[in-house]
Amino acid sequence: MDRVYDDKIRLLLVDDEEGFRRTISKRLAKRGMIPVQASDGEECLGILKTTPMDVVVLDVKMPGISGIDTLRLIKQEFENIQVILLTGNVAVSDGIDGIKSGAFDYLTKPVEIDHLVNKIKQAFEIIQLEKEKQKERGYREKLEKKMIDTERLVSLGTMSTGIAHEINNPLAIINESAGFMKQVISSPEMSMFSQKDALLLGIEKIEKSIKRARKITHELLGHVKKQDSQFSQANLKALLYETLGLLKREIKNKQININWEIDPKKNMVWSDPYQLRQVMMNLLSNAIHALGENGSITLSTRETSEDIILEIKDDGIGIPKENLGKIFDPFFTTKPFDEGTGLGLFVAHKILSGLGCKIDVTSTVGKGTCFQIRLPKYDKSNE
Amino acid sequence: MIKIPIKILIVDDEKDFVEMFSLRLKKQGEKVSTAYNGKDALKVLETVPIDVVILDIRMPGMDGIDTLKQIKTLHPIVEVILLTGHGSTETAVEGMKLGAFDYLMKPADFKDINVKLENARKRKDEQEERIRQAEARLLLRRSGDF
Repeated sequence: MDRVYDDKIRLLLVDDEEGFRRTISKRLAKRGMIPVQASDGEECLGILKTTPMDVVVLDVKMPGISGIDTLRLIKQEFENIQVILLTGNVAVSDGIDGIKSGAFDYLTKPVEIDHLVNKIKQAFEIIQLEKEKQKERGYREKLEKKMIDTERLVSLGTMSTGIAHEINNPLAIINESAGFMKQVISSPEMSMFSQKDALLLGIEKIEKSIKRARKITHELLGHVKKQDSQFSQANLKALLYETLGLLKREIKNKQININWEIDPKKNMVWSDPYQLRQVMMNLLSNAIHALGENGSITLSTRETSEDIILEIKDDGIGIPKENLGKIFDPFFTTKPFDEGTGLGLFVAHKILSGLGCKIDVTSTVGKGTCFQIRLPKYDKSNE
Repeated sequence: MIKIPIKILIVDDEKDFVEMFSLRLKKQGEKVSTAYNGKDALKVLETVPIDVVILDIRMPGMDGIDTLKQIKTLHPIVEVILLTGHGSTETAVEGMKLGAFDYLMKPADFKDINVKLENARKRKDEQEERIRQAEARLLLRRSGDF
């Protein structure tokens, strides 16, 4: 058991006395640790540049770069390496200096081999611990970032619906005013007015712009959640089928294949079917947009202990890595303004977080994109 | 063909909207009344004959849904088209369950408005016609009894 563990320790032994090095190496090897050897500080640093090490056992008194200086250089460049110093019997102060400079510990020569082995193991444990901590820290940071992202999107969602709502009323007034002006100008009394066409042109532009603004506000509002979502048992396959029915024309035009890989046993979720359909609509029309002729969309479900994971996968153009973090942002789009508002995924994300669901995406340029939605499984106790 | 004006009541707290919208409908030949809140709308309905009410859902005081309920209780034959600026189509659908003819989202397309107005008026006419016929049948049966 120990041996397997000890094998993993990458060890470097640095001492100018060849005899000493050889003896220690032999003894360490007997205990399962095979050290790489170096005869001075310079060689040690050279090895470290090319070969990753965990623990360095370092003699303090060496020609050339002193042990303490070597230690400092090691610590500067390789902060994860632990260093155990070997000092002469009389030079305890060297050891203390060493610890101040970041050494793990020091041992005085002559070295008791079991003592050294223990120290190496301890140093290695510290490294493992440190690595765990770093991993955990990284994980936590990632999680926090994701939470901030989600929160940001939720508050953006609330604000955008508020704005859209407030803009619709003035927009309606502009709309009726422009429409009325058009009626007046088109009336028979105005038939002799020479500038009529110019005015009509202007009004036409106003009306076109109203339509454009309306598309944005309506898209933002099309899904506004009432206080109580209507949760019920929802059949994913039936919902997808209905949604695809609404997209029939586009699917036919591009001759898109739909691959159904939905297990009827992993199909029932507990959610708001009306809002889910809106999400599917946005995701499926995106998928269709990403596909050329004869592309495929694959619909599949998976099951975990509590959730159903729905995957909507296309083999279309894919999303470049640098855009992947932005696709859920409002108004982010790569399409021209008359083709996309950049709100589809934003709205989908918003709806899903309102429903307590999660959405994830993976994508490779040229290969396609896959959206995964995690939905709570339906069971009888829901009702 | 001579256009038979639709008798419309517009109810919305946005005065500018009511003003421009009614000008536009009047210009087209409709007969338009206006109100800026639910209470006033009910007052107008007491005194003026109305075919279709165009009713904003979100108003201060008595909101559109409450007004709709009152209208449907007091004047069940009058048709109501709901107008929503705040996208909650669910509220609009709820309104339809309470008897509204249809709904429109602001800013609405004038063509859509006209189609819905025309259909609403038609439904009201047909309903009135059925009532007339039923009354006639009732009268006939009565005279037969005696």
